[in-house]
Amino acid sequence: MAAPDSSITPAAPLVAPPAARRLRWLGDRGLAGLFVSPALALLLFLSVFPLLWALYLSFTDYSATRDTPAQWVGLDNYLDILKSSAVHDRAITTLVYVVGAVGLQTVLGFSIAYLISRRVRGRGLMTTLFLTPMMLSPVVVGLFWKFMLDTQFGVINSLLGSLGFGQVEWLTNQRLALLSLVIVDTWQWTPFIMLIALAGLTAVPRYLYEAASIDRASEWFRFRHITLPLVWPLLLIAILFRAIEAFRLFDLVYILTQGGPGVSTETLSFHVYKVAFLGFDTGLASAYGILMVIVVIILAQFYLRYLDRLREG
Amino acid sequence: MHPGTKRWRRKAATAATLAALAAAVAACGSDDDSGGDAAAGGGEAAPGAVPALSDKPIELSFLWFEWPPAQALEDFANEHYTKERPNVTVKVNTVPNPNWHDAIFTQFAARKTDFDIPILDSQHIGEAVTNGNILDLTDFVNENIDTDAYDPYLLAAYGQYPQAETGQRDPDAKMYGLPLLGDTWTMVWRKDLMGDEPPATWDDMIAAAQKCQDENPGMSGLAFHQANGSDAAAVTYNTVNGVYGGELWTAADKQIEGVINNEAGQKAMDVLVNQMKPLAPKGSGNWFIDEVNAAIGQGKVCVGFNWIAAIGGLLDPEQSQLGKTPEAIEKKLGFAALPGQDADVVPLGGMGMHVSKYAPSDDQAEALNFIKWFEQPEVQKMWAAAGGVPARTDALESPEFLEANPWNKVYAESVPRLRDMWNVPEYAKLIDIENTNVNAALNGAKDPEQALNDIAAEQQKVLDASGGGLE
Repeated sequence: MAAPDSSITPAAPLVAPPAARRLRWLGDRGLAGLFVSPALALLLFLSVFPLLWALYLSFTDYSATRDTPAQWVGLDNYLDILKSSAVHDRAITTLVYVVGAVGLQTVLGFSIAYLISRRVRGRGLMTTLFLTPMMLSPVVVGLFWKFMLDTQFGVINSLLGSLGFGQVEWLTNQRLALLSLVIVDTWQWTPFIMLIALAGLTAVPRYLYEAASIDRASEWFRFRHITLPLVWPLLLIAILFRAIEAFRLFDLVYILTQGGPGVSTETLSFHVYKVAFLGFDTGLASAYGILMVIVVIILAQFYLRYLDRLREG
Repeated sequence: MHPGTKRWRRKAATAATLAALAAAVAACGSDDDSGGDAAAGGGEAAPGAVPALSDKPIELSFLWFEWPPAQALEDFANEHYTKERPNVTVKVNTVPNPNWHDAIFTQFAARKTDFDIPILDSQHIGEAVTNGNILDLTDFVNENIDTDAYDPYLLAAYGQYPQAETGQRDPDAKMYGLPLLGDTWTMVWRKDLMGDEPPATWDDMIAAAQKCQDENPGMSGLAFHQANGSDAAAVTYNTVNGVYGGELWTAADKQIEGVINNEAGQKAMDVLVNQMKPLAPKGSGNWFIDEVNAAIGQGKVCVGFNWIAAIGGLLDPEQSQLGKTPEAIEKKLGFAALPGQDADVVPLGGMGMHVSKYAPSDDQAEALNFIKWFEQPEVQKMWAAAGGVPARTDALESPEFLEANPWNKVYAESVPRLRDMWNVPEYAKLIDIENTNVNAALNGAKDPEQALNDIAAEQQKVLDASGGGLE
């Protein structure tokens, strides 16, 4: 055994550097709170306070432009809205729009994702190209579609004309105007559904398909019993996001139809805008907005419970 | 620490936060209560004389909507006004037409404006005055403006509140603005296809448009405003209503029901929907100023109706397919005052200048000085030569104006025939009701008679409620 080398000086014992001086009253939780407080203050200032302020206004007859004090009117604003036939009409228009647009986007988005997921070459490029509409501002999208859909000057009718079809009144025909909104929204937001669905499809374990192949399962069987059940929860999340977005549609209506012909494409959000900024009935508009938030929260709760059950089942 | 104590502390902290927020809400609410002295509306009064002007650099800002006169005003003011006030730069900010009312009144709602001179549509005056958003210019007008130099109705329409009877001015009423730009509709017709003489009556005009459409395949007879936004479809109906002897309301007792939808009103709606609309191009149900100009410039229509201040581009060869020079285009297009029928009225367009109550005092003084400068006879003539439509009678009759554009004589002829809408505080709601219903009738979404009756009932409800309500 070799004798220990006495020339090597023993290492100094490891000593932790002195801890930063901390105030005795500032515990870990306090410090955490201190770090979180700026974000919390911003959230309170930008989200919670306006919400509470709108809630307060919703019980008054306040008008933002009139220099008169707000008078407490209790639930009058809420009752006016719930009893208004104009609001019922806009609710139906909004419902038709949401179901039509989100339904079409789901079918198309999932189909495109399914096709892309099966293709290996050029998949990245195709995905990027498909995502382009989603990256554009809705106002820009609305403006160029307005030009494209114009009956007299638009490229769509010009194209249809060259194919021998007649002129279509996309934005001024009562039956077609809402469909046009659905088409434009679908053009822009189908990629969102596609993206989520693609993520779900990519995550399906390959061995399940291999096992199904060994069992000689048909293409439909594989889709019905492997692909769809595994992608469905993710797809439902995408549908939830899109439905909430579609429910508060404003920009496309404002740019493309101004709610017309007449009020046939006036959605709830567009109607709130008119109440708030044409008549400046701020109290009434606040109640209208609060009711819309409540409706979205209730529907989202039902939806999330269904999702939970799906996950547990 | 006991977990129960922790929970209690958390609850207490949450309660304290909510209490603080509630206090903040209450504090904000109490701000409203302090606005009591302004509750009566009417705005603060501007001094009779222009106050001392600042020598510091000032940007005098306007807010208008995006159309050719806005740029013309900015160029004109920076070329001429700055000779008198070199430290001043004039900036005319613009927004899209449908945002015009919102852009101005949302800033009024914030009690802080980034404009000194809001350019209001004549019908917006009531809302701005009632809310106390603009200065009372009565003393200023009395001391600085030669009111006899104007057609009384032009002064009344662009500045007076409460509203004047059509064609008149109440010299005792308060003034809140002065004219910036006069305007009305002109009829533009294809001289090369329909002859040099304009149709004499409205019925003749429809017949001539029908004939022209029949004789020229691919062309439509008429182009006019039908859109849902701004006041487009409503002005069209109001025009036809006036031509057939109808009235929009009786101002004295604020009566609309039974007035707008009387026999003359129903006749006007029938003519508009069943005689004029079939002559308009397919899909023109959302047309406004630009689309009508485009249809005329592209040779798609025989007769078009548009605001005079917006048709400058019609003679521009770069925007027209009717000729390669303005002279060549002018040989094909004629401009005339609207034909009458049972009555002889035309729509009043144009806007007035007002002074924001919320502008800094130096800017308010500069705004008053600008208005005083602008209303001088020689400046009005220069404005006419620069493409503007002045309001002073001497400027309207001057060669500078009459020879500046072929349509200027149309305006000069139309001044005694002008009729405005309501300028009450509920204007925005009234116009929306009329716009949506007329647009619905024009696009087949509503029976025309039903649309007019709905207009009457809904507008009356708004006036009776004097404000709130869902329409």
